[in-house]
Amino acid sequence: MDVYVCVGSSCHLRGSHEIIQIFQQKVKDGGLEDKVNLNASFCLGHCMGGVAVKVGDKYLENVSPENAAQMFDEHIAALVE
Amino acid sequence: MELFLESGYVSLNKYGEELCGDRVEAIYHDDSMTLVLADGLGSGVKANILSTLTSKIICTMMAQGMPIEDCVQTIAGSLPVCNVRKIAYSTFTILNVDKQGNAYMVQFDNPNMIVLRDGKNLEYEMNTRTIEGKKIHESYLKAQKGDIFIMMSDGTIHAGIGTILNFGWQWENIRDYIVEHYEFSMSAKTVAATIAQACQDLYMDKPGDDTTVAVMRIREWQQVNIMVGPPVNPEDDEPIVKEFLGNPGKKIVCGGTTSSIVSKYLGVPMTTELNYVDTGVPPIGHMQGIDLVTEGVVTLGRVLDICKQAVSESNTDTMLYDKRDGATLITKMLFEEATHVKFYVGRAINPAHQNPDLPIDLSIKLRLVEEIQEKLEKMGKIVNVKFY
Repeated sequence: MDVYVCVGSSCHLRGSHEIIQIFQQKVKDGGLEDKVNLNASFCLGHCMGGVAVKVGDKYLENVSPENAAQMFDEHIAALVE
Repeated sequence: MELFLESGYVSLNKYGEELCGDRVEAIYHDDSMTLVLADGLGSGVKANILSTLTSKIICTMMAQGMPIEDCVQTIAGSLPVCNVRKIAYSTFTILNVDKQGNAYMVQFDNPNMIVLRDGKNLEYEMNTRTIEGKKIHESYLKAQKGDIFIMMSDGTIHAGIGTILNFGWQWENIRDYIVEHYEFSMSAKTVAATIAQACQDLYMDKPGDDTTVAVMRIREWQQVNIMVGPPVNPEDDEPIVKEFLGNPGKKIVCGGTTSSIVSKYLGVPMTTELNYVDTGVPPIGHMQGIDLVTEGVVTLGRVLDICKQAVSESNTDTMLYDKRDGATLITKMLFEEATHVKFYVGRAINPAHQNPDLPIDLSIKLRLVEEIQEKLEKMGKIVNVKFY
């Protein structure tokens, strides 16, 4: 599963960096290194609903450092386990 | 081949003084550049006035093609006379280099100019003449690409006197120091900052005299092109990218949408790094055929911050370039490599950037570019901006 976290200007200011860190920790904790391929991406074109995260072909919107862990469990971990 | 003349300088004020008694003036005229460093008698306001008059008069007269005798006579005749010492006095060093590399140096009472060729000290001959009772040393030499001319006020060779060093940091020590620290990629400003920082250290942050280092670096024409933002009209994407890529020199692309337009045109994928070198600057990307790919406004905002810091004349920080984040990489290319900078600025507006909830104003792209341009021009770079 390819996961892209948007690091465009608007998303960057809303906390892309922290979200990447939370996701990286989540991947490590869950032992998902083989299943989740974590990437950064420039603008994903969902600026109004940032931070945007692309999971496979789908887009997650309004991901924030506060809900990142929960979003990861529900929308990423759930798909690969 | 046409040479490009780059200049930069750093001044340290005597400890406790508001004004610097040293003055550097640079002027471009008829395909040549004249750089003058004047050191006024004493310190503070008086010295500042003397050196300002001296450097301005010399620059203006030399630019008009007047011989050095006339310049010296004018200075001797017009400088205000010091009440304490009963003389009108300011030392000076003049360097004039044209684009064919003909260098003419005139030195009066400042420490001798250091000339580096291929990173080694170059000895040059001096002819001494007496004009208005002043001993003036003149030299002619043929400059080559890579040559570095270093002019100094006597604050440099007095650095550390009586505290750390018995006799100060002597001329030979400075020469050896810069030869040792020389790197081919150093900009004029970096060379000046390297020496000034060493002086600052020897003075233990309390300079006993105004200390100035001014440098001219002879280099080849090198253009760096930066594309920022997509065109207002999407139909212009292709012609603009085509023109941008057709320029000689390095290419930098800033912004997510902009880089995807370029990636589409080139038919090569773009990848983005996941690592943040600096949490304040989004990570950089990679694309075949493009030298550097970065995010847009946030990165450029940081570039401007670095520019502001770098043009400040008292700044001696050369560590600036050690980081690897997008903004530092752009700055490094602009400062150290470019003689000419061409900006391609798209005026399309990203609706998400109009959001008042964001912590900083993102709709400032055009102003950022304008301010960066102003700073780069201050460094003597030729900047071109094209809007579309």
